[in-house]
Amino acid sequence: MVRLEGLQHRFGQQKILQGINLEVHRGECVVLYGANGSGKSTLLALLSTRLTIRVGHYFLDDIDVNRYGDMARDRLLFVGHHTHLYGHLTPVENLLFFADLRGLDLSESRLRQAIDAVGLSRSADKPVQWFSAGMRKRLALARMLLAEPLLLLLDEPYSALDAQGVGWLNAMLNRYLESGGAVIMASHDPERVAALPHRPHHLARGQLSSMALPGESEPC
Amino acid sequence: MNILKKIQLPLGLLTLISLAVGAWYVYQAPADFQQGGAVRILYVHVPSAKMALLSYLFLTVASVLYLWKRWEGADIVAEAATAVGAAFTALTLASGAIWGKPMWGTWWAWDARLTSMLVLLIIYKGLMVLRHSLDDPVKGARATAILAIIGGVDLPIIHYSVVWWRTLHQPPSLTAAENSSVHISGPLLPPLLILSGAFILLGLYMVTVKARQIEARRRLDALEAARMHPDE
Amino acid sequence: MLKAAYRIAWKDVAGDLRRRATLSSMLFFAISVLVVFQAAFEPDRKEAVRLLPGLLWATTLFTTLVGLGRVFQAEEEDGAFEGLLLASVPRGVIFFGKWLGNLLLTLLVELLILPLTMVLFNVDAWTQVPAILGILGLGTLGLTGLGTLLAAMTRGARSRETLLALLLLPLTAPLLISGVQAVAGVLQPDGVVAPWLKLLIIFDLVYLAMTPWAFGWLVEE
Repeated sequence: MVRLEGLQHRFGQQKILQGINLEVHRGECVVLYGANGSGKSTLLALLSTRLTIRVGHYFLDDIDVNRYGDMARDRLLFVGHHTHLYGHLTPVENLLFFADLRGLDLSESRLRQAIDAVGLSRSADKPVQWFSAGMRKRLALARMLLAEPLLLLLDEPYSALDAQGVGWLNAMLNRYLESGGAVIMASHDPERVAALPHRPHHLARGQLSSMALPGESEPC
Repeated sequence: MNILKKIQLPLGLLTLISLAVGAWYVYQAPADFQQGGAVRILYVHVPSAKMALLSYLFLTVASVLYLWKRWEGADIVAEAATAVGAAFTALTLASGAIWGKPMWGTWWAWDARLTSMLVLLIIYKGLMVLRHSLDDPVKGARATAILAIIGGVDLPIIHYSVVWWRTLHQPPSLTAAENSSVHISGPLLPPLLILSGAFILLGLYMVTVKARQIEARRRLDALEAARMHPDE
Repeated sequence: MLKAAYRIAWKDVAGDLRRRATLSSMLFFAISVLVVFQAAFEPDRKEAVRLLPGLLWATTLFTTLVGLGRVFQAEEEDGAFEGLLLASVPRGVIFFGKWLGNLLLTLLVELLILPLTMVLFNVDAWTQVPAILGILGLGTLGLTGLGTLLAAMTRGARSRETLLALLLLPLTAPLLISGVQAVAGVLQPDGVVAPWLKLLIIFDLVYLAMTPWAFGWLVEE
């Protein structure tokens, strides 16, 4: 469902990514490992369309993302270090804003359901600015329940989450994968990812190589 | 950018020769019976005013090319043209003031041309400041290119609004004085043409030198960045 | 799609009314500018009528700068701007939403500044209020359009508020000239208004057509 062909990226003179090839199918989770500055975040930014791809191809659900970025953004959701939340709005208002920007027509009870599901029902009507980092992260992840994307891009999803939050996130991701979604995540936390069926990849010197299960991914 | 290195010397010599010829003509030209010797300032003022605008045109084209094709060379030329254009604009204002003092009796008048030139100088300055106030050089280059294009669209609007403003409001004496600056004819014309050509060469030469300097500085910055972060 | 733009504007305006942050700073800034003008020029009644167009536009322009400095402030919070760009609407729509929010706040402030100026400077031109407001509003369309783009451009810049003023003021010279002349035309019995209105409309059209595209180019990385 996701296909990357020869993806390259550079910042000025520095080559960050040099020819990334990757295929991810429905129900699959690919985890990217790599040192800081190895280009994990850049790769996710390219996949989220935040950065424009100059060299290489990216297909999502058979859409050529380089051409039809707006259409592709409908089908993917990116959750990174930033939660993209507005402090002066309540969780319900934040989710409503998100839903409207995505063109989702959702009732308020549906929004509250999602907030309940991430365990924030007691704070559903308080401005987000008083929330802890963990609560913000949960709220950011609650969007995934609303958006039902085809592809979920996660940058260090476990950071700021406590043990309970990690268990809850993994349960949610498992359900998501079973329902046919695909996940690409950057992490340096193999223990927490262990609860998910996944394919680990290693990113170094701008090249991607599969780690544990050789033969299944294409040679890089 | 290699081409810049090749053309720099011949272009410089050509500029020097044409400036010398132009200067000799100006020296030979008769003083204006109305304006006296002060008229000679116009030989600098008029060509530099032309160059101030021509540089902006150049800058706009380079900016469009940079946004469209993402050639770094176009961005370097745009940055160089900004500095050169600002220099010519400043020269225009200064020579205008020096000419204005004996002719109008004041250093400055809010006449349409001078006002537009002053606004142009601020726009050039804004472009220079914007480029260097963004930490990411690529973002700075893109933002500057977009601003340059917007300024390019704005300049005619600024010019016409100032002209309307001055003509609908101005005491007529200044408008007449303003007109006297364009009525150059007869024996005054050849040196003006030669100097206009010389200033175009001078502008190109300045852009060449400045572009090479900018390119060298960027390469140094890249080397410095690579030295600081050898892993990336 | 327009719903998204409306939502962005709503978020900004409602959020601001909730915090009363931008609106009240703009208003009090405008009052201080008026006080400065009064102290600097001390116009008598007759002079005040002559100065009013300039006072009004200068105050509006400076006050707009205060508002523009904050247009993207809410967006700086926790990567919210990135969140906007990841929405599946064209970038022009996002720009439109940000512009609309700023426009509404600025118009609201102008609605308050005009009577305030007339009271503080003892100008009796209450019958002309609708016309003057119309001219102010017309100019504000383009002013906030260009301003919102420049605010986006100077996001994350060093000393951005100074930079914003440096970039915006020269580009809005036509607006200031035609706006002042149009208001002056309304206040005088035999004043000329039409050509200045035309210039204002040209300015608005040019910038409202250009800025959404420019925004798209600007945020692309």
